[in-house]
Amino acid sequence: MDEELGGFTIEELTLPPIKYEYLDHTADVQLHAWGDSLKEAFEQCGMAMFGYMTDLNYVQIREVHSVEANADDMMGLLYHFLDELLFLFSVEPFLICKKLVITEFNTEEFRIVCQCYGEEFQLGKHPQGTEVKAITYSAMQIIDEPKDNNFEVFVIIDI
Amino acid sequence: MVVRQYTEELKYLEKINPYCWKIKKGFQPNMNVEGVFYVNSTLEKLMLDELRNSCRPGMTGGFLPGVKQIANVAALPGIVGRSVGLPDIHSGYGFAIGNMAAFDISDPNSIVSPGGVGFDINCGVRLLRTNLHEKDVQPIKEQLAQSLFDHIPVGVGSKGIIPMNARDMEEALEMGMDWSLREGYVWAEDKEHCEEYGRMLNADPSKVSLRAKKRGLPQLGTLGAGNHYAEIQVVDEIYDKYAAGKMGLEGVGQVCVMIHSGSRGFGHQVATDALVQMEKAMKRDKIETNDRQLACARINSVEGQDYLKAMAAAANFAWVNRSSMTFLTRQAFAKQFKMAPDDLDMHVIYDVSHNVAKIEEHVVDGKVKKLLVHRKGSTRAFPPHHPLIPVDYQLTGQPVLIGGSMGTCSYVLTGTHQGMTETFGSTCHGAGRALSRAKSRRNLDYKDVLNKLEGLGITIRVASPKLVMEEAPESYKNVTDVVNTCHSAGISKKTVKLRPIAVIKG
Repeated sequence: MDEELGGFTIEELTLPPIKYEYLDHTADVQLHAWGDSLKEAFEQCGMAMFGYMTDLNYVQIREVHSVEANADDMMGLLYHFLDELLFLFSVEPFLICKKLVITEFNTEEFRIVCQCYGEEFQLGKHPQGTEVKAITYSAMQIIDEPKDNNFEVFVIIDI
Repeated sequence: MVVRQYTEELKYLEKINPYCWKIKKGFQPNMNVEGVFYVNSTLEKLMLDELRNSCRPGMTGGFLPGVKQIANVAALPGIVGRSVGLPDIHSGYGFAIGNMAAFDISDPNSIVSPGGVGFDINCGVRLLRTNLHEKDVQPIKEQLAQSLFDHIPVGVGSKGIIPMNARDMEEALEMGMDWSLREGYVWAEDKEHCEEYGRMLNADPSKVSLRAKKRGLPQLGTLGAGNHYAEIQVVDEIYDKYAAGKMGLEGVGQVCVMIHSGSRGFGHQVATDALVQMEKAMKRDKIETNDRQLACARINSVEGQDYLKAMAAAANFAWVNRSSMTFLTRQAFAKQFKMAPDDLDMHVIYDVSHNVAKIEEHVVDGKVKKLLVHRKGSTRAFPPHHPLIPVDYQLTGQPVLIGGSMGTCSYVLTGTHQGMTETFGSTCHGAGRALSRAKSRRNLDYKDVLNKLEGLGITIRVASPKLVMEEAPESYKNVTDVVNTCHSAGISKKTVKLRPIAVIKG
């Protein structure tokens, strides 16, 4: 392992392309994320949420933590996945993530395990963006159309 | 959802006086009672435009328009009186923000809904007075604003500086402001000038998830982000000299401090946890609602009772939070003026909650009834002589604190008897958003907003630059329109207008 890379492999430090955007909403913001698989769209959606809390350009990959989410259906899974990420930021280790890699994406038992790469949020180093209060089911959409290679998610977060 | 042409929709709406519209049954399915909303001609246009936009084909936005949400709430089991929309209403999660609804506790079908309280449980406003005049503050305004900004942790990711461990937290959740008092953060008189005396007695920390407690612990004593703020304000105009005098506001130019904050991540998590529980309870008890987001449970069910106990704990958290910031504010002023907070007469004028559900007695059809009153983006406004308001305000009515948007005025109102009968003693809470956050960022320039504030003589300290655009006055309804509507409609009375001279924001 290379010391300068802080113990991470080059592959781990390579950043994915941005496949998300923020859509208009009167009081809140709607995250729209997509990818080449539903798994990627979920990962992108999580990164979109972190991107709203700070400018991710200022975040370095120095730590990795694992989160697990379970639910009864796909919408629940997306909801709980984001809620776990928000929790990771809100309490010890106060992790702000630059990169998310879902290592288990079980759409039958509705279970996600995700590796979260980033560092502890630090005032002064990381610009303060907007605080996310909660994830909502409001107008949530999961588009899963493998035939057309179309994978998208829409989530409104309460801010 | 009923889909109709805009002109068809309008047939269900009737203007009953210049400030009030009725929403007739049938506007949404299964309405148990009628709806009502308070608007003046300017706000009326915003309200109807929102409805018109939603009638266009292909509209699949996030939230239903405010009028539809009022009507959906009118269809909830056990609702009494009317589902009330206040002038600052805008659409929100299930319930609109600026909606109040009361449910008859004696009716076994009556429900409690976390969406009717909001994610930020006991978000509210506190007003402190001082014996300083604007001219005392002007020479050191920048230093004072900086000092407040340094004392109060603000913005996303900031952590509280009030020492607290898990055991302290349990006690704080149970005791609310009594905890703050015991630990020496507030004065005994502060409690007297606070709704519920800063402590909801039915709080039960054992009904709160560990997750919520973990989220709350690092954030106690932090302001938060979004529309939360601490402002140094001066009295700009007094409409009711007697009532203002009772509040210790003697004349134009007197300096006050307004703190707008809530229960932080703690309350957000309590609400999130409850919504999950209630989805299950709804299936089990076969509770039908017009909108899935109106998750609710019967008041007397386990889920309903657990939520009310956890919500009360979150309300206590919010009071401890505002009390901690009161302490920090007094410290900041004391250091700058080299005088004790006592000598600066930094008393709490009042502290209101505008996201909460409370058990109250009201007269319904001539009979006294115990109701569960949900106020989401709505402030309690009890009239003179009401037993639940402090002795100092028995003759004036309860002070109602209405925070403006960044750089605009704020108001102190008082409760009225008419409000007690028409809106279960409820009025507006603030300005209410008009533009989306993204639209604000696109249309407004950071520098323009700051220059404009500077031109108005307002110092600003803000943690997040993009918040400057999102929270610019242009993004909000005009708070003066909102307050004037409440005053003209008679549901509360204008007492004092406050003008900001320094703003501290997340």
